[in-house]
Amino acid sequence: MNIFKLTYLSLKNLFRNSRRTLITVLVSSSGFAALAIVSGYMDFTFYGLKELTICKGFTSGGGNGHIELFNKDYALKEEHYPLEYGISEYQTLQSCIETDKNVIATIPRIEFNGLISNGDKSISFLGTGIEPKKEIMLIKYWNNLSAVTNKDKIVNTPIEKLYNNSDNSVLLGEEMAKVLDAKPGSDLMLMSTTVDGAVNVVDVTVAGISKNPMKSIDRYYLVTNLKTAQNLLQTDKISKIVLVLNSTDKTNSEIPLIANIINRKYNQSLFTILPWHKNAEYYQSIRDAYNIIFSFTGIIVVVIVFLSCTNTMLMATMERVREIGVMKAIGISNSWITLMFLIEGFFIGLFSIVFGMVLKYIFSSIINNIGFNMPPPPGMSMTYILQIFSASQYLPWISILVIISTTFSGLISVRRIKNISIVSSLTHV
Amino acid sequence: MKDNQIIAQLIDVSKYYGVGAARYEALNKINLTFYRSDITLIEGNSGSGKSTLLHLLGCIDKQDEGRIIIDGKDTTNISLEQLASVRLEKIGFVFQSFNLIPVLTAYENVELPLLFNNTDKNIIKHKVYDVLNKVGLLDLKSHYPRELSGGQQQRVAIARALVGNPSLILADEPTANLDSKTGSEILDLFTSLNSNDGITIIISSHDTVVLERINTVVKLRDGKLVYTNIRNNTYTV
Repeated sequence: MNIFKLTYLSLKNLFRNSRRTLITVLVSSSGFAALAIVSGYMDFTFYGLKELTICKGFTSGGGNGHIELFNKDYALKEEHYPLEYGISEYQTLQSCIETDKNVIATIPRIEFNGLISNGDKSISFLGTGIEPKKEIMLIKYWNNLSAVTNKDKIVNTPIEKLYNNSDNSVLLGEEMAKVLDAKPGSDLMLMSTTVDGAVNVVDVTVAGISKNPMKSIDRYYLVTNLKTAQNLLQTDKISKIVLVLNSTDKTNSEIPLIANIINRKYNQSLFTILPWHKNAEYYQSIRDAYNIIFSFTGIIVVVIVFLSCTNTMLMATMERVREIGVMKAIGISNSWITLMFLIEGFFIGLFSIVFGMVLKYIFSSIINNIGFNMPPPPGMSMTYILQIFSASQYLPWISILVIISTTFSGLISVRRIKNISIVSSLTHV
Repeated sequence: MKDNQIIAQLIDVSKYYGVGAARYEALNKINLTFYRSDITLIEGNSGSGKSTLLHLLGCIDKQDEGRIIIDGKDTTNISLEQLASVRLEKIGFVFQSFNLIPVLTAYENVELPLLFNNTDKNIIKHKVYDVLNKVGLLDLKSHYPRELSGGQQQRVAIARALVGNPSLILADEPTANLDSKTGSEILDLFTSLNSNDGITIIISSHDTVVLERINTVVKLRDGKLVYTNIRNNTYTV
């Protein structure tokens, strides 16, 4: 049997009831478009989540940057005193790393804790010491991302207030400020343990208030200048260096290059070089949750497409009982007749993919140009403009899913075909 | 055209429908022999078992008792796939309602059996043209069934039955849905195919006009054989 002839027969049967075929193709192509758009939305959401994690982060420590550089023992051992496993002479290390053309900034940070007091009340804080002019590079990186529109750009951040004030300035979380009854300009005291184990106090002034979406972080949030933190802890070390690259896609390829650079200058085994996603548990858990939601949505869409095509195939079988009986009477086996129906289902899938691509393009363009403002994702305070990415890496898989759905919807008819009695089918009306 | 070769045999064939008290005997212990190149009429009133007999001979139904041998092949205990092969290679069926595939042209309808019986694709066109010419419809090969008259559709059905060079053509009430003039033309066609090409034809009909064109008669009543006149050897039950 010539498969092309069977395909020709299948196509002719497909177009004999063109209205029904059209409706089935429309349903399947809508399913394809829905899956493709959801994939594009998923891609955009994960992209935004990823870049926000890199630029802003979900904790009080700021964005992860693309790569973090620690003392090797920092993550492995408990410190007996602050910055026991910090990085010393970090400026030399920064200069070294900044020779890599893909590194646009190296950001030193100190993570420390202690008590903050307004004279009447003392509460604990989780603090980060930063160099504001370096931290602003992360914000510039975000604002330069091509997927970010003007409405999504970060402007007038509290960090800029820190940058514009004296060294002994702090940013407080909104909840912390409420507890301390503090506002910009208020004088407070920071207390902590130095590297020698002594207690030290530093006077600071509130430069700004930062509202964090998570109250648990907001309650303990404090950011100050690197020098203030070093002054408080009586050290010149830092906790880590955060590297900002010119593209997130280069993260994995940059790690061995950074390692080589460090190795040329230092003993590489002194440092741990960590890509951003290894230290982003909150991002991973949000991503996992979204994956489940999107997968579930995808399954529902596929089931709808399958059921729609199954209905079409069953209707076609019902209408062609006599014809199937005649084909059997001529001597055409059940297998060939079944194959014919499977080919019909396959072509419905093929047409659905083509129309689906067109629908996807049309609706994506409309959505991308309208500018829907989406609510902030969990753990974030920023809204964002809805974008649908092309998600071309998912399109082959979606196509396969649709083809499988439509082709195997014909299998439901197989049993029916097999059970059709030739004699009774010849008199079927 | 006479030939002594047996083309089909029914040996103690019975067919029942229903179960228990509702059981109905469509055929009861039928013994028949058909010879190559004969044209045979299976005659009887409505409900006599003509169509059932033809369906069993055509392997589109299975007997409950007895054996059926088609061109030397015992079809009694073979699988459904093998039965399909027998139908494809040895039998051509012409139905009362023509039963052409509506989405295919006359040419494509006739070509259909050849696509499935491993005929060399280089000779398919030649064979289809040949049979369409025999039935006088070569000029209408590109027409769809809806564009053909009843008689023309039946001719296409006959061409489809012929195209695979079957051992046997079975025609179940082929003129029932046609007017008398057209029916007569169809019967003339059958006669011509039998006398000119030696094609073995078995026709079931209650139309006595068919009697004028055949050389063998089998008469059924209530599922039983009552009379045969196979090559003028008369047998009455």
